[in-house]
Amino acid sequence: MSHRLPAPLGDVIDRSSVISFTWNGKKLQGFEGDTIASALLANGEHILGRSMKYHRPRGVLTADFWDPNTTVQVDDEPNVRASHRKLADGMAVSAQNVWPSLKFDVKAANGLVGRFLTAGFYYKTFMKPAKLWPAYEHVLAKFAPGGSVDLDTPHGRYDKRHAHPDVVVAGGGPSGMAAALAAAEAGSSVMLVEHEHQLGGHLLWGSNDDRAAANELAAACAAAGVEILTNSTVAGRYEDNWISISQRSHPGVIERLIKARGKTLVGAAGTIERPYVFQGNDLPGVMTSGAAQRLIRMYGVKPGTRAVVFTANESGDSAVEALQSAGISIARVVDARAGEGITSASGSKSRVKRVTLSDGTTVECDLLVTAVGWTTPTSLLNMAGDRPVYDADAARFFPAGPPDNVLATGGMIGDGSRDELIAHGRATGELAAGRAAVVRHRLQAATARAAAVDGPEPDYPADERTPLDRAQHPELYRSTTHGIVDYSEDVSSKDLFSAAGEGFDSVELIKRFTTATMGPSQGKLETVNTVAVLAEARNETIAEVGTTVWRPPYAPISLGALAGRINEPTRVSVLQPWHEANGATPILAGQWVRPEHYGDPAAEVRNTRTNVGIIDVTPLGKLDLQGPDVPKLLNLLYTNKWMALPIGGVRYGLMCAEDGVVLDDGVTARLGEEHYLMTTTSSGAAKIWNWIEMWLQTEHPDWQVHVTPVTTGLTSINIAGPNSRELLGRLTTDIDLDPTAFPYMNVRRGTIAGVQNCIAWRIGFTGELSYEIHVPSGHAVHVWEQLLDQGADLGVKAFGLEAQRIMRLEKGHFIVGQDTDGLSKAPVTGLNPLLKLDKDDWAGMPEVAWTMESGDHPVIVACQPDNGSVVPEEAAQILRAGTTEIVGRITSSRMSPTLNRSICLAQVTKEFAAPGTSLEVLLVSGERITATVQEHHAHFDPEGARLRG
Amino acid sequence: MLLVPCPNCGPMNAADLSYNGESHRRPDPKTCTPEEWRTYLYLRENPSGWLLENWYCSSGCRRHFKIERHTLTGELRAPVLPGRKPGATQGDMK
Amino acid sequence: MGKNKPPAKYSAAGLLWRGLRKQSWPRVWREPEFKSTYDVVIIGGGVHGLATAYYLASNHGITNIAVVDKQYLGSGGSGRNTAIVRSNYLTPEGVAFYDRSLDLYNSMSNDLNLNVMFSERGHLTLAHTDSALRTMNWRAEVNKLQGINSSVITPAEIKKLTPSLDVSADTRYPILGALYHPPGGTIRHDAVVWGYARGADAYGVDLHQKTEVLDILVEGGSGPEGKGPSGKVTGVRTSKGDIHAPVVVNCTAGWASQLSNMAGVTLPITTHPLQAAVTEPVKTFLPTVVVSGSLHVYVSQTDRGELVFGASVDPVATYNMSGTLEFTEELAGHVLELMPGISKMRLLRQWAGLCDMTPDYSPVMGPTPVDGFYVDVGWGTYGFKAGPVSGEQMAACVANGTTPELIKPFELSRFTEGTLVGEKGAAAVGH
Ligand SMILES: Cc1cc2nc3c(=O)[nH]c(=O)nc-3n(C[C@H](O)[C@H](O)[C@H](O)COP(=O)(O)OP(=O)(O)OC[C@H]3O[C@@H](n4cnc5c(N)ncnc54)[C@H](O)[C@@H]3O)c2cc1C
Ligand SMILES: [Zn+2]
Repeated sequence: MSHRLPAPLGDVIDRSSVISFTWNGKKLQGFEGDTIASALLANGEHILGRSMKYHRPRGVLTADFWDPNTTVQVDDEPNVRASHRKLADGMAVSAQNVWPSLKFDVKAANGLVGRFLTAGFYYKTFMKPAKLWPAYEHVLAKFAPGGSVDLDTPHGRYDKRHAHPDVVVAGGGPSGMAAALAAAEAGSSVMLVEHEHQLGGHLLWGSNDDRAAANELAAACAAAGVEILTNSTVAGRYEDNWISISQRSHPGVIERLIKARGKTLVGAAGTIERPYVFQGNDLPGVMTSGAAQRLIRMYGVKPGTRAVVFTANESGDSAVEALQSAGISIARVVDARAGEGITSASGSKSRVKRVTLSDGTTVECDLLVTAVGWTTPTSLLNMAGDRPVYDADAARFFPAGPPDNVLATGGMIGDGSRDELIAHGRATGELAAGRAAVVRHRLQAATARAAAVDGPEPDYPADERTPLDRAQHPELYRSTTHGIVDYSEDVSSKDLFSAAGEGFDSVELIKRFTTATMGPSQGKLETVNTVAVLAEARNETIAEVGTTVWRPPYAPISLGALAGRINEPTRVSVLQPWHEANGATPILAGQWVRPEHYGDPAAEVRNTRTNVGIIDVTPLGKLDLQGPDVPKLLNLLYTNKWMALPIGGVRYGLMCAEDGVVLDDGVTARLGEEHYLMTTTSSGAAKIWNWIEMWLQTEHPDWQVHVTPVTTGLTSINIAGPNSRELLGRLTTDIDLDPTAFPYMNVRRGTIAGVQNCIAWRIGFTGELSYEIHVPSGHAVHVWEQLLDQGADLGVKAFGLEAQRIMRLEKGHFIVGQDTDGLSKAPVTGLNPLLKLDKDDWAGMPEVAWTMESGDHPVIVACQPDNGSVVPEEAAQILRAGTTEIVGRITSSRMSPTLNRSICLAQVTKEFAAPGTSLEVLLVSGERITATVQEHHAHFDPEGARLRG
Repeated sequence: MLLVPCPNCGPMNAADLSYNGESHRRPDPKTCTPEEWRTYLYLRENPSGWLLENWYCSSGCRRHFKIERHTLTGELRAPVLPGRKPGATQGDMK
Repeated sequence: MGKNKPPAKYSAAGLLWRGLRKQSWPRVWREPEFKSTYDVVIIGGGVHGLATAYYLASNHGITNIAVVDKQYLGSGGSGRNTAIVRSNYLTPEGVAFYDRSLDLYNSMSNDLNLNVMFSERGHLTLAHTDSALRTMNWRAEVNKLQGINSSVITPAEIKKLTPSLDVSADTRYPILGALYHPPGGTIRHDAVVWGYARGADAYGVDLHQKTEVLDILVEGGSGPEGKGPSGKVTGVRTSKGDIHAPVVVNCTAGWASQLSNMAGVTLPITTHPLQAAVTEPVKTFLPTVVVSGSLHVYVSQTDRGELVFGASVDPVATYNMSGTLEFTEELAGHVLELMPGISKMRLLRQWAGLCDMTPDYSPVMGPTPVDGFYVDVGWGTYGFKAGPVSGEQMAACVANGTTPELIKPFELSRFTEGTLVGEKGAAAVGH
């Protein structure tokens, strides 16, 4: 560590704890507390990467999170900010953007042709021949900046937290700490969030007094109960102070996303030091005054041996002191306040060697420190709607005035001594706490059911803070030469001039054309320089040009943290463990995991058709409806009539949306005088519940109907097949299954397998004699097992979803959403007798009426391929014979184990719907086959003798 | 995320509610013309400004209610339950 | 096309020449004077407005045109979109229309003498459920019939094309297959906007930026102030003064309702934000465009190495473009379902644009009940790819006074006639 300075320099490193790491394969050492960059500099490694376009060598520029020149690869993690990330033992660090190596980089040849690679050059070339662009593109992609992703990276531990603080303070410098402290003392719960690894802000690299004051404030905050989050960033401020915080310091977690509903947000993000634009400003060895001070005072690293300092402010002056304390000789202090300036710097490829001053003299050096002013990182305030305004006297933008629940303090709004900043912070904290108390009170009062709120609403405090002064500062953006404006994008002031000259002369256009401000530092360093150069090119003031809107997040967040613990739940019936233990192949159907089959779906069909089968149909949506007005509701939502359904009756119904398009279908049973059970499709369950509530609450609030979803409360089992009556009969004593006592489309309640309060109804989705039973879920496994036990000699076997799909297709039942689509109005189903136009009202009725009147709609038909061994794919198109005109499509198809031939449902235009019509079906293979439209939808037992039996 | 005050539950994260869009009068299905019905189905004022709209407290009390929201600024006026009159003011939530 | 080629020709030789001579390029377009009369006023300086102006000039010789935009050119959806282009739509009318657009995109760099960087990298729409797979098959079949290169491929084939995708069967959203559309890809959206602007300007079209339309002037209509049906448009009132014109075309996408309401024409549109985000750049690893409808996410990687993400529109209608945290959370969760290996990549920036959503996920194009007032709106989340063909067809519509066949299915009157277009199934999250 040849460039390490002796203690007491190096406040934050612990020299007793040595850390080993590798840099491009070379073994190096640093200390606990080092950043990767400080450790590299301590080892004399001052080139940390290369620039994106021209591949120029780059070194430390700002030595903090925003440093655009020091992103590196660390193990499997790309784009690690070496000037911010703390060194850890065993890190494998390597430079990015270099090929074949950091020292020898062939792409640097780009620098030679730089004159031709002006911003936006690619828009102007590679047009011809068009075929070659992909080849060019391929080459350009090789120049993509950034590190590499290891696609085998496991999803590590990420987490989320919801928080409800009164006050969130973004920034832990003197004003932020003071604000947090004052707010906590005023009774607020406070989160104090600091981007860097410790509280203190700019005091950390200031005088001894500054550092002592920082420690004192930090301790006071902790003692006052402020929740302190370091190495954490307030990343976003969304509507109603919904605040995202990226916490990189939570133990055991790579990164945690905190979502906080802050009652007041305090912006105390300080200022960011701006680089100066001049020829050679990106040479390694050129850095900001903050960078020099941080390196020396915090990390004990010597950034050079002989320095020129260009200063326009106290930070530059303080840098001179820091450099002196580090034993660096000061070749020259160039004071902008005295009218002095620098024009350019030059050097070898890898380091600055000399600086040319405005008076023409040149000074030899290996370090050039600039202190030319500040940028206010108004990003969070932008997100709150604030649009910053330029102040030429202070040479920076200031917030115009964020909304009431967002307050700014400190360097973001002015300048002052340490004590003045602290005083302003305190006043801001008190105001924030006062406003938070009002918001808290109102939120509680607005929650009707909450316990009575204590006392009257506190007064809403007005902003009576004494404003901070704004220090005069010369407007220093660009010297007389051209230099880099955007380091991460390699955009120079010359590029900006030429873009403006071409007409890309508003901030937004120039940003898009040149990509200035679009890179990983998100414009924190670049935006104001871009604006200033554009103003110069347009011969306007900076205020006239204005600035761009900073978009969230404030600092990049990992996808892992945004995702958190990945947890996408699925639903299962209580029988699912049984299914899986008994060989079921699970299938995801919407949210549900269900048994697709237990080995052989065709065998399941045959067994059900000859003996008896049972299937778990729990995902059917089930709504318990009670009240005197249920029939009116049913009459309104279904297309058919419901006023006369007797107790014990079951009816099928079709629902339409208001545009007449089929919405859902199912059966509803009348269980008692004012008690009904409605079923919906599995995927429609939640939608239909909402649909019912909507009608009841908005159109018919006077109707008395109470709706309770019971989808999982009742486990539903369909018992189907010729032996189903016999089987159910063995399990029930109090339900009379005699077909005259319990006919088709009827419902009974009773005891099944000893379980009381079961519901059984006779319906026929599979086309067999069948009973669908709904059993309180706590007893469902017992009932299921009893069915299998008691029916062993009857040949009972479980069947899965696939067998059910086959049987329903054999029976010709359509499925909403499969055989119908987003444009299928009710008449498409062919269920015209169920579309009762003589009712007063039902959802979708007018459209259905007009569609029926015009007759202009496709219809669902059953069809069978003439070659029964061919199963056309679902989605196979039906064409007018010999043409490519589409006249329909196959919507469902299967090989029928019952009929031993392929069967289909299709949607066809009216012209092709008549029974006996020959259809030409285009298979996915391209082959055309013919199929014949059937008389009935049901391919099997069209009269329904089996199910009515 | 916007805080939307359910008349029952109080301020809720908007993501916990369902949004049902612009509030519309439903024409009489027996007598309306296709044009009236399709105006109800499809045409929307869609203003950039104050809009009376339908919300559903889907992850809370399952109340449908109407509220006036400014579609540009996100400001909200007091919510109204169907069948009740607008009037009672709901404090400013911000 | 192009009797009147743009001046300074862009080429590699030109770059070299000017580089050597240190010469600069001339302005891409003029800063025109504000005139009070034009033959056509086009509201909206996005790809639709600019393309319409360009084709009116290049194909029909109508050049006395003002394009007005309240902000800068491309400040709306055209500068905010994720620039995915494809033609594998679900309905025959959709396929025919978007395919023409793809043709125009293919020759655009040449036609406009500006590299729009059309990257024909292949477009994958993943199916995670049986029913999604059925829809993919349906689309593929309709596409093939119209000569579009589109087919359903297996998980193994998907893995080969895009190794970063997790195609294992035991995930929450297993990838069962995908609709593969080799001609789909991405384009540099800004370049398309600038290309049309530069081309139109060269024909003499005036591009007025920072000029907001405050009202549309209509006479003789049946509504209030003589606006609305059976009226006749006479011009627009802008923040810089009135412009008289017998033809006004509304190309304002997210703001379409506002402008149409000014003419007394109510549209079947609601405005919802669509959000997008990019990551920090990394070395390229994702060669195709990947869309997952069930997971509401799509992703592609730029030549610069950033992943560009999008989703489906936000549920709540708003004109506010500030974006939400929830979008980024859901996005990240879903992207990591598809590509678990990229959890350490970081989201750099999110933004939103406004989308003019219609009930049938198809545009509204052509004449309105107000004579001379045309719309080219309802572009929702899919309008960028349609820019060229819309411009070409709208130009023909305005110039000839009849609606061309290609856009007939998209006329406003379909909503009163109840003949909606059936794209809903395919476009919900299909960019
Ligand atoms: C995040 C996002 C991603 C998208 N991704 C894709 C994609 O991958 N593929 C795809 O095909 N489509 C995509 N889209 C959709 C696409 O961007 C739009 O459909 C398309 O850009 C619309 O273009 P336009 O020219 O009609 O409108 P815009 O580009 O929105 O232009 C409208 C213009 O009208 C101006 N304007 C508005 N009001 C006024 C007024 N009163 N006076 C004057 N001017 C006015 C606006 O300033 C604006 O410039 C996406 C959209 C978004 C937001
Ligand atoms: Zn509620």
